[in-house]
Amino acid sequence: MNKPPANDIPAKLTRCFAAVFHELSVQQIASASLETVERWDSVAGVTLATAIEEEFGIELDLAALEQLVSFRSMLDYLTGLDAARGLPPMETIQHA
Amino acid sequence: MKLVEALEALNESPRPESPVLEIHLACGFTPLHFLTFLNAHLRREFPEHKIAVETGWFGDLPGNLERLERAQDSAVVAIMEWQDLDPRLGIRQLGGWAPRQLGDIAQNVRGQAARLSDSLESIARRNSVTLVLPTLPLPPVAFTPAWLLSPFESELRELVAGLASRLGRSPGIRLVSPQRLDRGSPCATRFDVKSELSTGFPYSLSHADNLAAVIAHIIRNPVAKKGLITDLDDTLWMGVLGEVNVEGISWDLDHRAQRHGLYQQMLASLAAAGILLAVASKNDPALVEEAFRKANPILPRDRIFPLEVNWGPKSASVSRILQTWNVSADSVVFIDDSPLDLAEVKNAHPEMECLRFPRDDDKAAYQLLEDLRDRFGKSSLSAEDEIRLDSIRASHTFIEATRTLEYTPEYFLREAEGKLTVSFLKHPTDPRALDLINKTNQFNLNGKRHTELSWKQYLSEANVFLLVASYEDKFGPLGKIAVVAGRSDNRRLSLDHWVMSCRAFSRRIEHACLLHLFQKFDAREAAFDFLFTARNGPLRDFFAEILGSVPQTSFSMTRQQLLDNCPPIFLRVQEPSDE
Repeated sequence: MNKPPANDIPAKLTRCFAAVFHELSVQQIASASLETVERWDSVAGVTLATAIEEEFGIELDLAALEQLVSFRSMLDYLTGLDAARGLPPMETIQHA
Repeated sequence: MKLVEALEALNESPRPESPVLEIHLACGFTPLHFLTFLNAHLRREFPEHKIAVETGWFGDLPGNLERLERAQDSAVVAIMEWQDLDPRLGIRQLGGWAPRQLGDIAQNVRGQAARLSDSLESIARRNSVTLVLPTLPLPPVAFTPAWLLSPFESELRELVAGLASRLGRSPGIRLVSPQRLDRGSPCATRFDVKSELSTGFPYSLSHADNLAAVIAHIIRNPVAKKGLITDLDDTLWMGVLGEVNVEGISWDLDHRAQRHGLYQQMLASLAAAGILLAVASKNDPALVEEAFRKANPILPRDRIFPLEVNWGPKSASVSRILQTWNVSADSVVFIDDSPLDLAEVKNAHPEMECLRFPRDDDKAAYQLLEDLRDRFGKSSLSAEDEIRLDSIRASHTFIEATRTLEYTPEYFLREAEGKLTVSFLKHPTDPRALDLINKTNQFNLNGKRHTELSWKQYLSEANVFLLVASYEDKFGPLGKIAVVAGRSDNRRLSLDHWVMSCRAFSRRIEHACLLHLFQKFDAREAAFDFLFTARNGPLRDFFAEILGSVPQTSFSMTRQQLLDNCPPIFLRVQEPSDE
């Protein structure tokens, strides 16, 4: 998968999911959850969380992790995090 | 490499027919992301292989190692962290850090280190082991503040240093260099406390990535370069000889030319380790000889062969050097301070690595020394390394003599008093045999290469034989110069590998080796796993001489065919009596 733009949260998150669950199509990733993905066990969950932390430069706290059990919930969390920071999009920061 | 990139690399499927490279990983922690990085880096180093890494049980390094003592001809990666030496040196167990316990911890570390050493030495007798000694910082166990080195910490570090010294001497064990690891993974960034407590994986991602990269590189064990061609003015020494004369050139601190002295010191060290050194310089030959004689450089004149000093293009000098050495451009490094000369040589020899000597930059010059050590470094030195230069000189003298005087080859071969010593020992594994298999191009049956592991596995097959031939004559010894490996079955030989160093050409050693094999195994026929490669012309010429035509693919030759077409051999062939 090509490297997505730095400020494209859905694309970066999709890349993380595709790296961990390579058998899923982009459409399947959009609806992926703990219930729908058979291979989403504890090891896959830790790997996914660590990949997201590294890709987005954040640290996920354990309480948040328990709620992040689907692509949709993770996307909402990351988008909310960006908005809560009150920061301009990531690409703008990197070029500043 | 980021974790996502490592995971993506693992998702690329190798070709179904790729051979499998099996690695056993023994560590006391949950390997988690380290396993991902190790797999990804191994794929990068071995693109033609499928990688299979097997792991043991969490929290049981001694047990994991003991189980591997039964393994044979495998690649083993063993990682020892402080907590494997005593759980109180980790943070997942609460055994106490009271001052009165420090003595007991040190004693426990001593006992555990001895146990792990015994296990590792036992594994290394039949496998190749890449060993990592503690990479993580010690937790704040001792009562001293962190800026003081406590006697407790000193004792632990002494124990680990002793372990490294003992295990580093074992031929089957290669230790990861802490200094190289420090470069890519600073100590303070290695430990991930949160990950260690939540999952039992103690490494930060960057540390896991760096460590995996170094380990994969050690397992690949890249082939070292064979020769170095250097410029003289403003490279080997500071100053342009033709302008400042012998008195004006320098390589010392007083003249602010120490970087040239260090460069000479490195070249002298490389030469002593068997690396070929030559000079390509636009200069006056008499003046250069005078400089070596009178100025007494750190790199002595007799370590350089040949010395190409003339006013022609550097690329032509380099071509003559390659011809004298009889090595290919891709195994040689050319060093010059002139970007123009570097570009001219690179244009003529695109496969040669051409590096600029940074004559005005001490830091870059020091970096060059480190780069040279990486390119030419070897894990051990062989007897051949010591005699390589002399044997090339002897070979050159031999060839020149046959060219310039009007004697027949028969005359020279008879007078050379050649002696061929052939050994059929498979164990202990002779690293020179694999070295020849992997480096030889011109006299090479099929160009097939081996990793250390696949070579050991191949030799361990019961009906496989290995012939290693050494040669010497009145011009001097050439050392071990030929390897033949194959199988013998029902008076029929099947040759899988046959290589011979180009230094040994024109002595009919190839005829003698083949005849000896027919005699030794009382064989009537030999099948050759021959492949036409871009560079195995000399071997094709040999086959054409015996068969009457150049083979295009695998073929067989009878003993009678060889006897009918074999020219006279003037070699005394012997097998060591103790085999």
